[in-house]
Amino acid sequence: MAADIAHTPDEARRDIARGARTIDYTPNAFNHQPARYYLLWLMLPAIIVLAGISLYPFFWLIYMSLHEVQLAPGKSDIWVGVDNFLRLFSDKKFASGWLTLFKYSALCLSIEVGLGVLVAVILNNSRLEKVLVTIFLMPMMMAPMVAGFLYMFLYNGTFGWYFWLLRSVGVLEGGTILGDRGWAMFAVVATDVWQWTPLIALITLAGLKRVPQDQLEAHMVDGAGEIRNFISVTLPNLYPFLLIAILLRFMDNFRFIDTILIMTGGGPANATKILPTYLFDVSFKFFELGRGAAIAFTLLLLTILLGLVLTKVFEDPARKLKTGGGG
Amino acid sequence: MFHVPKKALYKTISRRKFLELGGGVATVLGAGSLAVGLNSVIVRRPVYASSSDDAKWRQYEGSKLVFMSENTPPSFAIRDNIKSFYDLTGIEVDILTDGLPTVQQKVGIDLRSGRADYQLNYVQDKPIGSPFADFYADLNEFSKDDTLPLDAQGYGDEVWFENFLDACGVYYDRGPIRAFPYDCAVSCTFYRQDLFEKLTKDFEADYGYRLEFTDDTTYKNMVDFAAFFKKMHERDSSIPYGYAQHHGSFGWTTQLDIQRHMYAQNQWLDFAVDDTLGSKNPGPTNWGDAQSIKAMEGYQALADVSHPDNLTNGTLELNTVYAAGGVAMQIQYHEFAASVEDAEQSVAAGGKTAYAMGPKGEVSWNSGGGDNVVNATNCGIGGIGINAGASMDLQRAAFIFASWACSHDTQLMVLKGVGGTPTRKSVLEVPDVVKARQRPTTMPNALTFEAVYDKGIRSPNMVLGPKIPKANEYHEIVRVGTQQCISGELSAQEACESIRDELNAIHDV
Repeated sequence: MAADIAHTPDEARRDIARGARTIDYTPNAFNHQPARYYLLWLMLPAIIVLAGISLYPFFWLIYMSLHEVQLAPGKSDIWVGVDNFLRLFSDKKFASGWLTLFKYSALCLSIEVGLGVLVAVILNNSRLEKVLVTIFLMPMMMAPMVAGFLYMFLYNGTFGWYFWLLRSVGVLEGGTILGDRGWAMFAVVATDVWQWTPLIALITLAGLKRVPQDQLEAHMVDGAGEIRNFISVTLPNLYPFLLIAILLRFMDNFRFIDTILIMTGGGPANATKILPTYLFDVSFKFFELGRGAAIAFTLLLLTILLGLVLTKVFEDPARKLKTGGGG
Repeated sequence: MFHVPKKALYKTISRRKFLELGGGVATVLGAGSLAVGLNSVIVRRPVYASSSDDAKWRQYEGSKLVFMSENTPPSFAIRDNIKSFYDLTGIEVDILTDGLPTVQQKVGIDLRSGRADYQLNYVQDKPIGSPFADFYADLNEFSKDDTLPLDAQGYGDEVWFENFLDACGVYYDRGPIRAFPYDCAVSCTFYRQDLFEKLTKDFEADYGYRLEFTDDTTYKNMVDFAAFFKKMHERDSSIPYGYAQHHGSFGWTTQLDIQRHMYAQNQWLDFAVDDTLGSKNPGPTNWGDAQSIKAMEGYQALADVSHPDNLTNGTLELNTVYAAGGVAMQIQYHEFAASVEDAEQSVAAGGKTAYAMGPKGEVSWNSGGGDNVVNATNCGIGGIGINAGASMDLQRAAFIFASWACSHDTQLMVLKGVGGTPTRKSVLEVPDVVKARQRPTTMPNALTFEAVYDKGIRSPNMVLGPKIPKANEYHEIVRVGTQQCISGELSAQEACESIRDELNAIHDV
């Protein structure tokens, strides 16, 4: 017999009186559908704040990128159409800024992900896991600017400890760490790796806790060794977590310029001038705000595009795993 | 345990109400402190030309101004002694200081916004004055206004050292004065006389002439000196490297460094422009010509024998290296003598350092012959300017401060205090200052005065450098090109041509 449905206590009593043997009692309060406008009103403050802090600057950015923004007092901005964008094609520093950014980002990401996963695997279920994780997270607590100053002093050619160390072991023969074009790039990458590998490790560690034990055990029963188990079971299960970690660090690399500005300012001879530092120069040193906006716009577009590509790359294996296609 | 009255006040206020009250109070206090702390205040009393001096000084009593300045000795000294200005005028001045690149950015944004949060600005001639000259009030309007307390010496060209008023006050047009010379940083050579004397025999054995620094020492000699010290350092690490250039990440430091080197040869200039006036359209650059390439080769040769951290050190860091005993010579700005002569922070103090003009050009590095070589000296003249976006009363109050800060008495006070760099001629005539030029001295910067004021800034040695609206981009282009050359990425010729192409491109040539 199908259950009667009552929405109020009175309806329930009436159904019992009618002899109903089963009553599905769902109070109206739980069933209530609020008016659509009500939800809109609830969200409105957040929408206004978001519009103020992101939409308005976004449209202002587009406006500036299409104008020659005037510095002189009282002069209005001049409409230049897409000239600011066209100029970027002949701007060697813009091109080299992108190349340096890709190099920097690729180095940072690959080392951080490799090292972060390794550290997480070592820490996972170890006896001192909690203590070690706390210690390991410390660099991340530091403001990037402070990390920049710290490493600038460590690398210093007069009193820097790392300089002394590399000199002593004969790795660094002639120049200094931040004064050499090749070494400078590795120096800024090392600072980023030192500060942000813990983030990757932390996220990976969270992922490792979610790897299904039954899959691991089943695989081991089938005769798989630890490495095979890691590659076939653990790693695919980590994809969603790694995706988050990589996306976060990838976007950070595209926008964090604090450490580089402090340590090298993009030098020596533009060896570490990633595009965001060039953007900073153009906008706030040269005050070419229109050109700066055009650079910022391309940076924003490409970041979104690369973010989507990354999501796609990592989404596929994860989906395959869920549908039984992986592993 | 404790008696709690039934009608205790806290019981009458609900937790929600308490939180609301707390939040409201915090918001009001925060907004209020921001408003009072960051904003200027103006209060005015009427004055007339016939009013007493005291009335003129105190016409803005109760007002508040904000001065954004570089972290240089005059600003520190004035901040330490700001009470004397307050006692004189009743005007409160909040002096904010920061490194020059940061000051440049903050001032630029403030000027561009039109808000005039900083009514008084440190107008360093090239990085701030050149791009933002049009945003500053014309000080002529105030310096002739007899309702303001005017300096007895006046503000004309004749009261300042040669070219100083032009350098920081005149931009692209001879009429308006945008800033008064507030402090100056003039280059001269700092060298370790004790080491020169100790090692001269070894040097003479290798190079055939004495290890000594004179007004006729050339950049070629500098290469010899630096190579010798480098060799000695490799044998005995207690002996410092010989020399280091100014590089680092701030474009202007490198541009000034190579400018001295280039100007020493044939008085070479970047643009065919009168540097005392500057130009909004400088036209094609001289970079890439035969003289620039020849001089760049010399600069590269000097870099090759310099301190290994050569590309890393900006001006401040280089002075730290010198004070720490890392190099035996530096071409440095004379304001740094105070820190070098401070035994607590420098191993080069106590009579070990001597001061001289910058090296002379090397005749053999002149392109196309000729013997036109000079002891190139350059400078940064820090002016004090008034934001034209501020109200007229704020500008007038700001002028009272600017006039006081650049006066003879204030400059003397700063010189005697933390070590200032006078811009008024009269300060150097004070008997105490004359006496302080010799050791032992209570004014270490005065040890440089012969090299700087008596010789360096005199024609033909002084080079002011180009004042152009795109000064900061120009500095950056020169810095990168120069560093590409001395790091071996480009040859001297390629570097000079690269600089030429980029400079011409930004000026649509």
